[in-house]
Amino acid sequence: MGKRPPVVVLSSSSDEDEGRGRRAASRGPSARRTRTPATAPPPAHATSGSRKKARRVGSSGRGRRRAAGPAPSGSLKAEFDMLSEDFSECLNDLGMAGSICQTEELWVEKYKPNLSSELAVHKKKVEDVKKWLEEKLKAPKGTFGGWTLVLTGQAGVGKSATIKALAPELGVEICEWTAPVPTLWTEHLHANSGLRYISKLEEFENFVEKIRKYSLLSPTSIGSQRKLTIVLIDDIPVTSGRVSFARLGKCLTGLIQSTQVPTVISLTQYHKTENNDTATWNSEDLESLLQSAGARKIAFNPVTTNSIKKILVRICKKEGSDLTEELLHQIATSSGGDIRHAIMSLQYYCLNPRRLNSALTTTTILPVLKSSGTLVPVQDDYGFSYVISTACGRDETLSLFHALGKFLHNKRDTYVNVAVDVDSFPLKEKLRRNPHKMEVPEKILSQAHGKVRTVADFLYENVLDFIDNDAIDDAWTVISYLSEADCLLAGSPISSARWMVNESYESESMTQLIAASVAARGVLFGNAHVSSSRWHTIRSPRVWQIEQSFRSRKDLILRERYDCSSTSGSRNFADIVTEFKPFERWISPCNDISRSNSVDHNVEASSSEEEEIEDW
Amino acid sequence: MLWVDKYRPKTLDKVTVHDQVAQNLKKLVAEQDCPHLLFYGPSGSGKKTLIMALIKQMFGAGAEKVKMENKTWKIDTGSRTIEIELAMLSSTHHVEMNPSDAGFQDRYVVQEVIKEMAKNRPIDAKGKRAFKVLVLNEVDKLSREAQHSLRRTMEKYSASCRLILCCNSSSKVTEAVRSRCLNVRVNAPSEDQIVQVLEFIGKKENLNLPFGFAARIAAQSNRNLRRAILFFETCKVQQYPFTSNQVAPPLDWEQYVAEIAADIMKEQSPKRLYAVRQKLYELLVNCIPPESILKKLLAELLKKLDSDLKHEICHWAAHYEHKMRLGSKAIFHIEAFVAKFMSIYKEFLVSTFG
Repeated sequence: MGKRPPVVVLSSSSDEDEGRGRRAASRGPSARRTRTPATAPPPAHATSGSRKKARRVGSSGRGRRRAAGPAPSGSLKAEFDMLSEDFSECLNDLGMAGSICQTEELWVEKYKPNLSSELAVHKKKVEDVKKWLEEKLKAPKGTFGGWTLVLTGQAGVGKSATIKALAPELGVEICEWTAPVPTLWTEHLHANSGLRYISKLEEFENFVEKIRKYSLLSPTSIGSQRKLTIVLIDDIPVTSGRVSFARLGKCLTGLIQSTQVPTVISLTQYHKTENNDTATWNSEDLESLLQSAGARKIAFNPVTTNSIKKILVRICKKEGSDLTEELLHQIATSSGGDIRHAIMSLQYYCLNPRRLNSALTTTTILPVLKSSGTLVPVQDDYGFSYVISTACGRDETLSLFHALGKFLHNKRDTYVNVAVDVDSFPLKEKLRRNPHKMEVPEKILSQAHGKVRTVADFLYENVLDFIDNDAIDDAWTVISYLSEADCLLAGSPISSARWMVNESYESESMTQLIAASVAARGVLFGNAHVSSSRWHTIRSPRVWQIEQSFRSRKDLILRERYDCSSTSGSRNFADIVTEFKPFERWISPCNDISRSNSVDHNVEASSSEEEEIEDW
Repeated sequence: MLWVDKYRPKTLDKVTVHDQVAQNLKKLVAEQDCPHLLFYGPSGSGKKTLIMALIKQMFGAGAEKVKMENKTWKIDTGSRTIEIELAMLSSTHHVEMNPSDAGFQDRYVVQEVIKEMAKNRPIDAKGKRAFKVLVLNEVDKLSREAQHSLRRTMEKYSASCRLILCCNSSSKVTEAVRSRCLNVRVNAPSEDQIVQVLEFIGKKENLNLPFGFAARIAAQSNRNLRRAILFFETCKVQQYPFTSNQVAPPLDWEQYVAEIAADIMKEQSPKRLYAVRQKLYELLVNCIPPESILKKLLAELLKKLDSDLKHEICHWAAHYEHKMRLGSKAIFHIEAFVAKFMSIYKEFLVSTFG
């Protein structure tokens, strides 16, 4: 009997937070039961209880363990409370943010163009789209095909905005494909009870099916005043793999050929280099597929800097914020024709004035650097412009060929008097070059996302075309730089260190970067006498074919050699090729009939090579 | 069977050209404590012949029964497993392979092969010669890492296996490996020795050699015995009985290189450089080793060159030969050499002839 109260006290003290009521209740009966010394009032009892507890804790290990049990849970609970407090605070914040959103929504939404005149898209394109829509809306039903319009262009050039702005003007309703909240595959696996897994592709197929049926039905309701509708497909499901792409293609082709409602498909173009792997769908493939199915295509160009700027200025005026002209210009240029992005970053700058200041200082630094650092390789400049582009703007991407073109054509400013600054030491005449008409080579390389090896190979293959035919010295300079780059890529100087310590990839990628830089800058520097610019096709490196056919040929030769002289021991491959092979040609026809089918190897090689060229 | 193979001396006693070396090797084997060996010398001097004869001396006729196999080595490097396929010749007593075929993964091959051989250590009835011999060709083409790992494994498994290394130039083998081996230099045979060998073969084949014929072939062979015998057989195939002024046709790839050299001398421009590149590709695709191409090209260019320029050209050839070893794409470096030559030569022409 005497043991019980402390235990009860313990347990109750551990969940002290749960309120007094329950504790009192739990203590009530125990106090009644012990009764003997219990004339003391509740506070006294509590102290005696705690004393008892202390005693118990001292006396028996079991008790202590039991006491220790609840204690952490108590602290955990406290922690949880704190967390939940934090959470609710955050939630409040979020709620506030939400409320701001309600009163003052995102500027992208707020300044969404409502009229076609407000669009930043080029007037002519808007006109094209409008004309097409009007035509289709007036056109009699019942004809198949030609009801589809494909809008292509980068992200954020206003493809959907155009349609959404035009629709009210034409008095039509938009029926939009909105992708429902997807059930993830993992979710489906986890809770395999109620949720049925529907892939986005399936849902899309269902949707398309519905439209087709609807469009077939709609002519019947023509008697009443029918509401004109446009179908807008904005979010074509992403497919991966050949099979699902074919499914999507079939579905879309079916839609295009059978629909009788004006259907607009907006298709975002990606840079080819951005999704390098061939497994994912290619926007170009899809585009050509849609066009071959009979859809009309209107391509949207990136929004020009000026029209972005105009819109930014308008928004600024409405918002009453006074951003400098310069910053606006920079936002506009760095957005790369993506108006959505431009407005977003504008809002961002208006939110955070401190950020604005720092950005402004960098922008003031930048032109200074640009003007001074022309002759010397401008590493710092690169760093600064990088900062800017992360502060506001998006990473620009170039296609590999674009970058190669820049390097190969080697456009430079033509004015002769290179401003040799007073402080910079004078360079020899033959080492002097006019400043580039392009960004820093490293930046171009990083934008091109090409593998260094590939870049070097391409440069090597093509650079000779761009060198003036008298300038053999330049050719040597260029090629020697490329040879240095090759050495760097092979990584021999540090490779001995690499196997001892499991060195991080860092040093390796560093050499890669340096090699790329050496290759690109070597080409730019060495090619001092650029041949007059004319159209050059850029060939794919022949080295690749050569290497491939070299390997296969080597295997062949080795096998042959082992077959016919397995007893005499193997020899060095070099000896076989340089000595046995040529002699065998002369000796074998009379000597050995089985070997007589060996053809003149030069001929054989060239024929096999041609096959490979076709493969490429 | 080619005469090269047919008249290859099979035992150390029958070796004619390097009889002194052969006798020493024989003594070495007789004492039953064979160290690791490193044979080096120019190609066609008889390194391989000596090695084969040596192995036969060690193990008897059993070493001659070899089989060729393409073995796949699975190597666990810790983070991933690499599969390397390598052709190797093996008998019960020895294994012969060419580890540099594995490219940059050669070091794994060397380690792994030796380890495996150490595991399957043969036990003789008498308990003698309980080691296998591993013949590694083209050691000079092994990467530095591979040579380092070779050194370690040599020490670790020296009880169970003996290495016989074979290479052209010992300067490309690391000091550490060289000092752990007994170095055997195999000279290129002198022209007289070559003539003797040719006459010996001629006698065996019942051929009638006109006076001076063998000497001419020997001179053409550039002290390469293998080449001399091959030339000899070629001549026999093309025309027999021999005429006194008969010469063997030049090797086709060498002729091609000579053509390239003529092209280079004729015009120096990026366009010509590009044309030369295509021809170089042609050679490379026929598996002619880039080192040989560069060497031959240099020799051809030097023939027609003013002696003032020779040392500079040689310098650049050496420079790019070195680069070629460091780098991975030989064509880049050969072409850089060609470009440099063109540049120097053009400058020379302009300064002398205006």
